Amino acid sequence: MKKSATFIASATIAVFLTGCIIVIHDISPGFKQLLVSLTGHHWTSVSLIIIVLFALFSGLFSSSESMRKFLRVYNIGLWTTAMLIVTLLMIVGILVELTFRFLAD
Amino acid sequence: MYENWIGHALIAIISLLLMVYALTTGATLRGRIKRGSGNAFKFHKKYGIYFGTFILGSFIYGLWIRLQRGESILLSVHGKLGLVILLLVVLQVIPSLILKSRTRYRGLHKTLGYALAPVLFIDASWGLYNGVISGTKNLVLLHSVSGGLASLVLVWIILELLYPKDRSLSRVRVASYLAVFFVTAGCWIAGGYNYLTSYGSQVKPIILEGPYPWAHEIIMEMKEHVFVFLPIIVLALSITLSILDKDNFLDDAKLRRALTMISFLALFMVLLMFLTGAIISSAAKVGMEV
Repeated sequence: MKKSATFIASATIAVFLTGCIIVIHDISPGFKQLLVSLTGHHWTSVSLIIIVLFALFSGLFSSSESMRKFLRVYNIGLWTTAMLIVTLLMIVGILVELTFRFLAD
Repeated sequence: MYENWIGHALIAIISLLLMVYALTTGATLRGRIKRGSGNAFKFHKKYGIYFGTFILGSFIYGLWIRLQRGESILLSVHGKLGLVILLLVVLQVIPSLILKSRTRYRGLHKTLGYALAPVLFIDASWGLYNGVISGTKNLVLLHSVSGGLASLVLVWIILELLYPKDRSLSRVRVASYLAVFFVTAGCWIAGGYNYLTSYGSQVKPIILEGPYPWAHEIIMEMKEHVFVFLPIIVLALSITLSILDKDNFLDDAKLRRALTMISFLALFMVLLMFLTGAIISSAAKVGMEV
């Protein structure tokens, strides 16, 4: 199954990029305001962004074999490990950032 | 009161884990799951007794909390369901230990065992609702019950992946569609709607003015953002399962191991959301009492 890791890889990249957006929007009020202006609430914007990113990368990996080869999307073990590490790092990263901000205030 | 409630919740979570283990070993005994090298009967009996003990402990703890407030346990749906669970557990454990020939009792034991799982998850979700919410919308109840059912379905997926049989792929696909439904419709949309319409105006100010402002500043802020990862992870798992063919599923142990890890990650996140929800609800409740 050459395409078995397509959606796992797409979800991993979507989680990583969205996690970065979450951390940046917590640090930068201007960026948070930009997200608010998109949909009326920053949380709704973040929710939409992760859906769009997942759909975008799923389409990209499904249609482009060269992209799949380049990112080794055929390797489900590799992308599962990446998903675990990325998700757990993002959870811990967000928690640490929020804790520091709370203590600083 | 806050610490008491968390203690009750922790005992209930341990009970849930023991129940899953007792169900798994029970299914192994009946041949629904492939047998390993250990003595499944011995494990089933041992963990069944542990489960019964924790349920009894959880019930007594809950009763103690209610009595401290001068309330009857049977006034709440959570308490009534807790009593039903305790009775089911007694019916499971005591005859199994007393009866010499369990052949005639086996059918009832199996039915009660499988009935316990949804009742316990619904009661745990209801308890979370009670612990936190009273005063806000019923959407939160739908949100937490969906979370409970999603975790149950994820356990089902994990068991199908760990012990594959001929019809496992079709069953695990159905389970994954249910997981997507519960996580997306019940948790994401219902929870998100409640967060956008009620939480900010009704609950957040109470928490910020109460003794535990960190429950919003750290825990809720983390929950609202980390949660958006969950539906995408469960959706990716479900699509991956839906494009697999039966031979790949049964023959490729590495593939199944990878999908099991993703299911464990999703289950961990659902339980994390439960825990954070419980903390936020308790902080709101304490804030209202102050």
